[in-house]
Amino acid sequence: MTTTIRHLLAGAAALTLLAGAAGAQSITIAIGSEPSTLDPQLRDDGGERQVNDNIYETLMARTPEGELEPGLATEARQIDETTWEFDLREGVTFHNGEPFDADAVVASVERIIDPANNSEQMAYFGTIDGAEKVDDLTVRITTTGPDPILPSRMYWMKMVPPGHATDGDIGAEPVGTGPYRFGDWSRGESITLERNPDYWGEEPEVETATYRFVGEAGTRLSGLMAGEFDIITNLLPEFTQTAPKFAAVDGLETSVFVLGTDNEVVSNPKVREALNLAIDREAMVQALFQGYASIAQGHHVNPAAFGFNADLESYPYDPERARALIEEAGATGATIDVVGESGRWLKDREQIEAVAGYWAETGLVPNVQIQEFSQYLDSLMGDGPRPDSIFIANSNELLDADREASFIYHMDGAAASNSDAEMATMIDEARVTTDPEARQDLYDQVFAKGHDLNYTVPLFNLQDIYGMSERMEWQPRTDAKLLIKEMGVTE
Amino acid sequence: MAAFLLRRLIQGGLVVLGVTFTVFVVTRIFGNPVDLMLPLSASPEQRAAFASELGLDRPLPVQFVQFAGELLRFDFGESTWQRRPAMEVVLERLPNSLLLIGAGLGLAIVLSLPAGILAAQRPGGILDRIVTGLSLVGLSMPQFWVGLLLIVLFAVTIPLLPTSGMGSPAHLVLPAVTLALVPFARLTLLVRSQMMEELNKPYIRTALARGLPHRRVLVGHALRNALIPFLTLAGWELVLALAGYTVVVETVFAWPGMGLVAIQALQRGDLFLVQAIVYVVAVLIVLVNILLDLVFKLVDPRIGLG
Amino acid sequence: MADSAARQAPSRRSRNGTRLRAFAAELGEDVPGLIGFLVLVGIVAMAIFAPLLAPHDPAAQSVLARLAPPAWLPRGNPAHLLGTDALGRDVLSRIIWGARATLLVGVAVVLLSGTFGVIVGLVAGYVGGRTDSILMRLVDIQVSFPGILLILLIVSIVGPSLTTIVVVLALTNWMIYARIVRGTVMSVRAAPYVEAAEIVGCGPARIILRHILPNLVSPLLTVAILEFTNVVLAEAAISFLGLGVQPPATSWGLDVASGRDYVYVAWWLVTFPGLAIAITVLSINLFANWVRVTTDPREREKRFGWSKTARRLAGRS
Repeated sequence: MTTTIRHLLAGAAALTLLAGAAGAQSITIAIGSEPSTLDPQLRDDGGERQVNDNIYETLMARTPEGELEPGLATEARQIDETTWEFDLREGVTFHNGEPFDADAVVASVERIIDPANNSEQMAYFGTIDGAEKVDDLTVRITTTGPDPILPSRMYWMKMVPPGHATDGDIGAEPVGTGPYRFGDWSRGESITLERNPDYWGEEPEVETATYRFVGEAGTRLSGLMAGEFDIITNLLPEFTQTAPKFAAVDGLETSVFVLGTDNEVVSNPKVREALNLAIDREAMVQALFQGYASIAQGHHVNPAAFGFNADLESYPYDPERARALIEEAGATGATIDVVGESGRWLKDREQIEAVAGYWAETGLVPNVQIQEFSQYLDSLMGDGPRPDSIFIANSNELLDADREASFIYHMDGAAASNSDAEMATMIDEARVTTDPEARQDLYDQVFAKGHDLNYTVPLFNLQDIYGMSERMEWQPRTDAKLLIKEMGVTE
Repeated sequence: MAAFLLRRLIQGGLVVLGVTFTVFVVTRIFGNPVDLMLPLSASPEQRAAFASELGLDRPLPVQFVQFAGELLRFDFGESTWQRRPAMEVVLERLPNSLLLIGAGLGLAIVLSLPAGILAAQRPGGILDRIVTGLSLVGLSMPQFWVGLLLIVLFAVTIPLLPTSGMGSPAHLVLPAVTLALVPFARLTLLVRSQMMEELNKPYIRTALARGLPHRRVLVGHALRNALIPFLTLAGWELVLALAGYTVVVETVFAWPGMGLVAIQALQRGDLFLVQAIVYVVAVLIVLVNILLDLVFKLVDPRIGLG
Repeated sequence: MADSAARQAPSRRSRNGTRLRAFAAELGEDVPGLIGFLVLVGIVAMAIFAPLLAPHDPAAQSVLARLAPPAWLPRGNPAHLLGTDALGRDVLSRIIWGARATLLVGVAVVLLSGTFGVIVGLVAGYVGGRTDSILMRLVDIQVSFPGILLILLIVSIVGPSLTTIVVVLALTNWMIYARIVRGTVMSVRAAPYVEAAEIVGCGPARIILRHILPNLVSPLLTVAILEFTNVVLAEAAISFLGLGVQPPATSWGLDVASGRDYVYVAWWLVTFPGLAIAITVLSINLFANWVRVTTDPREREKRFGWSKTARRLAGRS
C-alpha cells in the first residue's frame, strides 16, 4: 500500500515537473509498444529502435529522403572484395565519458556477432566476419564474401561503449553518442530522454522528450486529440482530417502479390498479364488510402532503395484487355487462389479483397483465403505447394534491392514462386558485385524481366502517416526513424 | 482455527497444483513451446538446443515434476520478450494492477451501499427505478465499449481527464470507473434485494409497529444482516478482478498492469512470462480467499471455521 | 400403461394451456420484464430469419462505398440504413447476421457447460459420500482458477476460432450449475415424500426424473439465462482482445472491435453493434429478473408481501 502511495506522489511530482518544463521545449511521443529492452544490439524491436535511434548512432546515416551519408564515420571505402575501411569522426565521446574510437567500433561489431548474445539483428549482419583496429580513428570490417551493401548494414548497427557494455546494465541504462541522453525509464509508463549538451553535431531544438506506450490505435488518437501527445505513429489515412496536424512520407513497405508461376492457370503469361491489367490501382489509392500511397512502378522495389529500376512504369488499368487475355488463355471460369492475412499490415485485408474483386471481373474465379498468421507464413515461406497468388507487404529496412530480388524473385528465395534459373544467376551476381554501376545494371535487367513476364502483381508503395499536435514542426523520414533532433516546436 | 487454516492451505495447494497442471497440459501437449517461443527463422539446431534446455526430450511425467518444481520455487525463467527474469516483470506490474483493482472495487463498494439502501427504501419508487435501471444498464454494456465511450466523452470532447497511461491520480479515474461499473451494478442490486428482504421480515415489522424511528430500524438491524452477503459478493468481485477481468480495461487505457503485460506476452509468444503471471495470480487468489474467510469469521461469529 | 397415458394427455395439455395463460398474464404485470421478453423474441427471430431480413450479403464488400454514414445523415446512402464499415460492408446486415453468431455462441456454451455441470451435480448430490466430496472439491478448485487469464492462454495456443471459444468458455463456466444442482438434489432427497418414494422401491432413474428434475427447472433456468449474458459479454471481450471469432466470420463483439480504430471518423461502426450487445444483454437481464421472481415461491411472496410493507413504511415517514 505504501508503495502505491509513493507511486502516486511520485506521479504527481513528475506531473508538476512536466508542467514546469512545458515552457522549455519538451515533447511527448506515443509509440505502439514499450521497448522490450534498451540494449540496442539484441532485439529486432520497433519500440526499442524508436527510442534508441536518438541515444545511439551508427557509422553510416541517411538523409530524410533515404540517401546514405556519413554518420560516426566520416568516410567509407572498399579495400578489397571482403574488406571495408571506415575513418571515424574525431572527438566524439559517449554519454558516460568513454571515448568513441576504433576500439569501440571493434567491440560493438564483435558484441553483436558473438553467438553467445544470440542477437536477433543477425538477420542484418549475417555477412560480417569481424572488425580490426588500424589506428585510433580507422577501423576495418571484414565480410565472409563480397558484400556491396556493407555500408547500408553499418547504418543499422548501433555503436556501444565497450566499458559500459561489459560492466554496466546496458539493457536498462543505454549510453550512446547521440544527441539525446537517457533520462528515466518508468517501466510500463514512459521513457524520458534529455538533450545531450556535449553532442558533437548541431544542437537540437527539443530539450526533453517523453515516450508513452499506447498499444490501442484508438487510444493513441484520443490522446493526440486531447493534446496529451505531440506525435503518434501509424495514423490511419481516414484520420488525416481529424488529427490536429499530420505528416505523410513514402515508407519502406511495398505491397505485392507474388504469383505461383509454376501453377497450372498462372503459369500462362497471358493470365499473369491480365492479373496486372485488371486492377484499377488509382481508384484503390483514393478509396483505401485517401491518396496516401503511391502506385508501384511496375516492380515491387522501394523507390528509395538502391537498385530501383527508374525506367519501368506502372501497369495500366485495362479491364477489357484483361478479359480478352483470360479468354485467349482459355482460363475463363478457372479458379485462382488468393492467399493473404489480416491485421499485420496497413489495410492488408482491404487490398486483398479489392484486388480479388477486380480479378473476378476478368472471368477468373478468385478464391480468397485469409489465413491465420502462422499458417500464412507457412504458405508464404514453407516447403508446400506455392499458392496461385499470395499477398505480402514487403519492408526494406536496408534500402537495397537485394532484399526484394533474393526474397521474392530468386527461385531459391524464401517467398519466390518461379523456377527462372537465368534470373537467379543475375541476382546471385548482383549480390556480390561491388561496382555500383554494374550492380545497378544487373538489377535493371532483373526487374525489367520480372516486369515483362509479370512474375508479381506490384500494388503500392505505402506511406507512413504520423499524427501531430498543432505546435509540432517535423518532416518524417523515409526510413521511419523518429529522430527528435529533426523536430521542432512552435511556441 | 489452526485446523481451519491448515485445511484451507491444503485446498489452496490443490488449486495451485491444478493451475500448474492445466498450464502444463495446455502449453506442452496442445502447443509446442519451441514453435511458440522461437522465431520462424530459427535453425533446427537452435530448436533442438532449446527443446533440450526445456527438458522436452524427457518423458512427460518427468517434465511435469520438473516444471512444477520450478514453479514451486517461483523460478519462472527469463522472459524471452523482455530478456530479464519473468518474476521481476510480474512484481513490477502487480502493484499497478492492485492499485487499479483497489480503486475500482473501492468505488463500487462505497457507492453501492448507499445506492442499494436508498433504492430499497421505497421499492418501485422513482429512486428505486433509477438505481435498478442504471444497474441493469451497467451490467449490460461491454466493458471496452464503456471505456471507449468514457475516453471520447471525458478526455477528448470535454478534456477533463487524461486518455491513457499512469502517473497521477487523474490517470486513475477513467479506468477505475470503467472497472467499477459491473461490480457496482451487481453489489447495488444485491444490497437492494437484501435490504428489501430484511425490511420485510417479521422482526422489522414488529419494530415498526412499536414505533421505532424508521432510520434506526434500517441501519441498526437490516444493514447488519445484509452485510454478510454483501461482503461475500465483494470478495468474489475481488477474486474475479484478480482472475483477469482487468485485462480489457488495462488494454483500453494503456494501464501498465499485469493484464496488459499478459496480453503483450501472449502476442509475443513469451510463455515463461505468461506462466509466471498465471501462477502468481493463482497463488494470490488462494491467499485472498483464505483472508476473506477469516474476515467473515470476524464479522459474523456465527460462521464456523469447520 | 399406454391406456392411462392416453387418458392423461388431454388433461396435461389443458394444464399447460392454463399455465401459459397465467404466464402471459403475470408477464403483463411486469412491464420491464415484458419489454425484455419481447425484444428477446425479436432478436431470436432476427437471428433465425437473417437471410430473409438482411438487405445485403454481410460479407459483400465495396471498397468504393466504404465508411458511408447512416442513411439519415448527409452523405448517407439509403441502401445502407446504418452505414457501411471500413470494407464497405453493410452495417445493418452484419448486425442481423451477427445475432446468429452471438446467440449461437451463447446457446452452445450454456448447453455444453449446463449439461456437464448438471451431470456432475446430479452424481455428486445423488451418490453422495466420497464421490460427492471429491467432485465438490474439484468445483472449489476450479472456481479459484484465474479464469480469464487461462482462457486467453488456451485460445492463443490452440488458435482462435468459434469452436475454441465455445469449448473454452464451456470448460470454465460449468461449476455454477454443478453447485446448484447438487444443493437442490440434496435438499429434495431429504424431503419426506422422496424418502417415501425410495422406501416404496422407486429406482434412481425414476426418482431423478419424477422428483428431482422438476425442482431443478427454476433455479437452472435463472442461472442459465444470467450465464448466457456473461457468455455474450465474454465473447465480445475476447474478440476485442483479438483472440475471438476471426474474420470472415462475424459477431457483434468482433464488429465493435474492428470498428474501434475508426471511432472518430465513423462512430456508427462501434455504436450499433455495441448497442446490439447492450440491448440484448439488458433484455435478457430484465426477463431473467422476472423469471427469477416468478418461478421462486419465496421471491413471489416478497413481491406481493412487499407492496404491503412498502405502503406501511411510506405511510409512516
